[in-house]
Amino acid sequence: MTAHEYGRADGTPPLGMPAAPGSAPGPRPEPGPAPWPYGDGEPYGDTYAGTAVWPYGDRGQSQDRGPGEVRIPAQKTVTAETAGGASGGTTGEAEKPARPGRDRYLDLLRSVALVRVVAYHLFGWAWLTVLFPSMGVMFALAGSLMARSLERPALSVIRSRVRRLLPPLWVFGALVMGLLFLQGWNPAKGPDTGGGFWSMVSVFNYLVPVGAPPYPVSIGSGAGLLESTWAEQAAGPLWYLRAYLWFVVASPLLLWAFRRAPWPTLLFPLALTAVVGTGLVTIPGETGDAVQDFAVYGSCWVLGFAHHNGMLKQIPRYAAVSGASALMAFGLWWASGHLGPGGWNLNDIPLAQATWSFGIVVILLQYSPSWQKLPGRLARWDKLVTLSNNRAVTIYLWHNLLIMATVPIIDQVYGLPFMRSGTASSWLSTTYVLWQFVLIWPLIGLAVLAVGWIEDLAAKRKPRLWPNGPNGSSRGRAGTRADAHHG
Amino acid sequence: MASRSNRRRSSRADGRSRRAAAPVNARRVRLPMRWLLPATLLLAVTAMLMLRGYVHSEILADYRIRSETAADRVPDEIIEGGPVIDTRGGKNAGLSVPRQRLVLTFDDGPDPMWTPKVLDVLKEHDAHAVFFITGTMASQYPDLVKRMVREGHEIGLHTFNHPDLSYKSESGLDWQLSQNQMALEGAAGIRTSLFRPPYSSFPSSLDNASWPVVEYVGSRGYLTVLNNTDSEDWKKPGVDEIIRRATPKNGEGAIVLMHDSGGDRQQTVDALDRFLPDLQAKGYKFQNLTEALGAPSAHTPVTGAELWKGRAWVFLVQASDKVTGVLVVGLAIIGSLVLARFGLMLLLSGAHARRVRRKNFRWGPNAPVTEPVTVLVPAYNEAKCIENTVRSLVVGDHPIEVLVIDDGSSDGTARIVEDLNLPGVRVIRQLNAGKPAALNRGLANARHDIVVMMDGDTVFEPSTVRELVQPFADPRVGAVAGNAKVGNKDSLIGAWQHIEYVMGFNLDRRMYDILGCMPTIPGAVGAFRRSALERVGGMSDDTLAEDTDVTMALHRDGWRVVYAENARAWTEAPESVQQLWSQRYRWSYGTMQAIWKHRRAVVERGPSGRFGRVGLPLVSLFMVVAPLLAPLIDVFLLYGLVFGPTQKTIGAWLGVLAVQAICAAYAFRLDRERMTHLVSLPLQQILYRQLMYVVLLRSWTTALTGGRLRWQKLRRTGVVEAPGAFPQQRTADSGSERRPVG
Repeated sequence: MTAHEYGRADGTPPLGMPAAPGSAPGPRPEPGPAPWPYGDGEPYGDTYAGTAVWPYGDRGQSQDRGPGEVRIPAQKTVTAETAGGASGGTTGEAEKPARPGRDRYLDLLRSVALVRVVAYHLFGWAWLTVLFPSMGVMFALAGSLMARSLERPALSVIRSRVRRLLPPLWVFGALVMGLLFLQGWNPAKGPDTGGGFWSMVSVFNYLVPVGAPPYPVSIGSGAGLLESTWAEQAAGPLWYLRAYLWFVVASPLLLWAFRRAPWPTLLFPLALTAVVGTGLVTIPGETGDAVQDFAVYGSCWVLGFAHHNGMLKQIPRYAAVSGASALMAFGLWWASGHLGPGGWNLNDIPLAQATWSFGIVVILLQYSPSWQKLPGRLARWDKLVTLSNNRAVTIYLWHNLLIMATVPIIDQVYGLPFMRSGTASSWLSTTYVLWQFVLIWPLIGLAVLAVGWIEDLAAKRKPRLWPNGPNGSSRGRAGTRADAHHG
Repeated sequence: MASRSNRRRSSRADGRSRRAAAPVNARRVRLPMRWLLPATLLLAVTAMLMLRGYVHSEILADYRIRSETAADRVPDEIIEGGPVIDTRGGKNAGLSVPRQRLVLTFDDGPDPMWTPKVLDVLKEHDAHAVFFITGTMASQYPDLVKRMVREGHEIGLHTFNHPDLSYKSESGLDWQLSQNQMALEGAAGIRTSLFRPPYSSFPSSLDNASWPVVEYVGSRGYLTVLNNTDSEDWKKPGVDEIIRRATPKNGEGAIVLMHDSGGDRQQTVDALDRFLPDLQAKGYKFQNLTEALGAPSAHTPVTGAELWKGRAWVFLVQASDKVTGVLVVGLAIIGSLVLARFGLMLLLSGAHARRVRRKNFRWGPNAPVTEPVTVLVPAYNEAKCIENTVRSLVVGDHPIEVLVIDDGSSDGTARIVEDLNLPGVRVIRQLNAGKPAALNRGLANARHDIVVMMDGDTVFEPSTVRELVQPFADPRVGAVAGNAKVGNKDSLIGAWQHIEYVMGFNLDRRMYDILGCMPTIPGAVGAFRRSALERVGGMSDDTLAEDTDVTMALHRDGWRVVYAENARAWTEAPESVQQLWSQRYRWSYGTMQAIWKHRRAVVERGPSGRFGRVGLPLVSLFMVVAPLLAPLIDVFLLYGLVFGPTQKTIGAWLGVLAVQAICAAYAFRLDRERMTHLVSLPLQQILYRQLMYVVLLRSWTTALTGGRLRWQKLRRTGVVEAPGAFPQQRTADSGSERRPVG
């Protein structure tokens, strides 16, 4: 079978799906007052006394503003129109409430992250974790949406989030546990869970993942269709649900702290990682895992807050990108000195993972262009992006099980007549993973058809089979609005 | 390398150049060409470095050595047999050397230092031996291999780069053997059938890990030559001890293991010098292996494609060594140039700042200059900015007359200015004829003797004009460069340009001021004495950089050109890579054109000659030649990162960065800029600088491949084909839709 072992399985369901209409970021802060004398007759005064200052005012990263518009009334109307048409979301939603709300840039990031997760679990290439830190990106996106939802009462938001998360997990868990019990798994006795009362209790994590759901490292004979480590492969990624759940529950507190002290809140998880993720302090067991995951991705989650409230855009781009790069350089340096058995697999190196993910997320969100629709050549991916976003939980939950399902299917090919020759079968063996990667997508499609609609039920929407179009998403929005009222 | 920086802002003429060069569609086709030469060059250099790193075993080298394991799968007849193992055709034979014969074997060579000495001693005593060479060493020193063969020695393979073969797969083994053969073919034109695995010893030491290697190699037609007498010369035990260990007992035949490489081999050479005559006196013959065994030679001459493949390989390895040598020299040159320039910059700009900031500093006898001046604002489609520009002028604290020369704008630029109805502002319209023509028209209409030139998208501070014209108190001053500043410095690319501008203006321009060879008055903010301009014939459209051209012409006419640090003008820097690219291409190519145009100054007399012999070489060195070598820094950074020593490489790079940072910080201090933008300096060094020298490389390409032709064509186009002169670059720059101009 393929080598998709994960010390710390990486992957991220975009559990924080857009829950409210208009996911364009809130009104951007207006540029600061321009220290410019001509428009309003304000004198130069001491603007130029000490340091040299750009007299256009703080243009920041407002690339979509010509230098003229701040001061010349005639120009202002023109640019306001342009901005409204081209770079929507910047002029505030009050003016144009009818504008569709999904930020396709964020959607695209989520889709890329999902594909990366599947590819990583299939190929097992460590460098994929460096290329695109899916986890960090996903937690940041979820954090941003969480921050927006928390404009409503916190308790109802948490309840609605948890409710949207659990039913898909229950269906998945029912299948996994059913198979496990069929194979004779007894969590109270297994060597993996430690046995006893608490092991029995830990099975309830399949109902509410306050901890990572348990699984036996090895079960069955391995002779049948399932190899003996299937449970680990299938349920391994579920740690993410625990992390997500805790982030959701902690969000009201985090947001409260973030509003009072943004920088300490943002950087605290990184500091915590430096303590619990480096062996300085080791917390044993499931608690330790939970704390470490919280620390590693906490900064990304809070970055989502910073993205949502516009703080990230207020930092000059040069400073944000330079700072992020420095942090990423530190991450690489740290990783180079703490390579695990998988080499440059950041999942094994918490501090490197935390800093590298944080840096990339800062850059990705700093440039966040708030697309109303995918531009240029990306447009052709529009439907797939929509579909993967609408079914992200399903894809994440099921993809690893489906990867294993590709093996018996592809093995059928060895039985074909023309595969008798040694060259043909050895050729198939060398390209095996590639065919798995081809086959996994139709399988995921089948899973979406089979169990994807549960996500809609969980969100109290009308179930859909294949939600890849704008119709569905608008209905979805209607549903979430209802959700907001009911929840 | 924030050297060439900021001068003029006008990015329009490059639009003109492109339009002149090719129609829009053709440009897309040509795009790869501008990358081709630089990319090929860089690729070739990188490939050479890779090759060098490879044969010097700095990469991909495998240093693992397996410890001994069980030997139950090794046949007894091998373990107890002789040291020459023949497993060809399913045999399992261990051959021994007959009595009174001694086969000397030397491993790991050839070595440029010790192998010749070993060969000398052998020759002196008419002894033959076997050399087990590695592919890496043979590729580097093919002449020694040739000499071995010529002098009757036998060659054996010792793999390409000396790994422990028990870790290698069959294809890995094949690769090691064939690469080694290829090196041998290239060096001496032969193949050999002898082989000795690295880290091998007596046949009795074969184990389950190393035996399959011997078996496999035998199946490929090789004799595996182990040894039964180890001199252990690599431990340097002393000459006597080497002789004692190498001497077989009772006149037995032996294969003796020695080394001609891998460290100081003086003891080996000395031992041989006594050992050979001693044993020859006892009746021993020193023969190569096949002589001793009475077998046909192990060498087979190769011809045809195989031979040429080998020769090509050896040639490439030799070339890569030489190229690397040249690169190291280049790096040393660029390193010292960079450091010298930084030193000079710090020294001279400090001197300049001290001089002009003295309390009672006066530019000249006519100070202060209070006479009214004319400000020329050439404008093409500047509707968005022109009002700010003009308003910033009229609130200035110096008496001025403003002439806006509208160069055939289609967006109502002229109308906007006229509607402002500002006193002292005149609009002159002309059919589109290019920036130099517009400036000349403005000059012809100017009422005052001092003329300030700026761009239509630049904003002056109230004191800019006053500060800018003060140096004219000195009647020798013909032109003054102002201090152009980047307004949009909070974006990443803006911050990088900001650093570049501040360093460029503060250090470069101050330095050039002191040295009397300021190469450029920035188009965004500069002042000229009209009488001086008239003497050199006004603005010219001979080059893409009319401002550099006219500045050099003024120098040659004997005028001083100075820098006024407080005359600040705010411009908007390009915000897309493509716009930046075309702007910088115009600058660097225009500078080259200007240098070329004024090349005669080198041999002229008087002030022209002074500029030609001091200014021109300095400008050429710092602006055109030195940046050409700058990519070496990155090439070696990569080389060091990949082939190591990684730590030292990063350290050295950080050191250079620190020097840059110090210079930049000093420049920021002189200009009273906030230091915060310096945080983007490290990224600038790994992303932005490269862009700049690729632009320069492209300018070189253009200059060397028919650039002159294009220049001629351009000249005609600029004057005659009016609508092409100022394309929509400006709109693209400041408009809400930031599209690069096709």
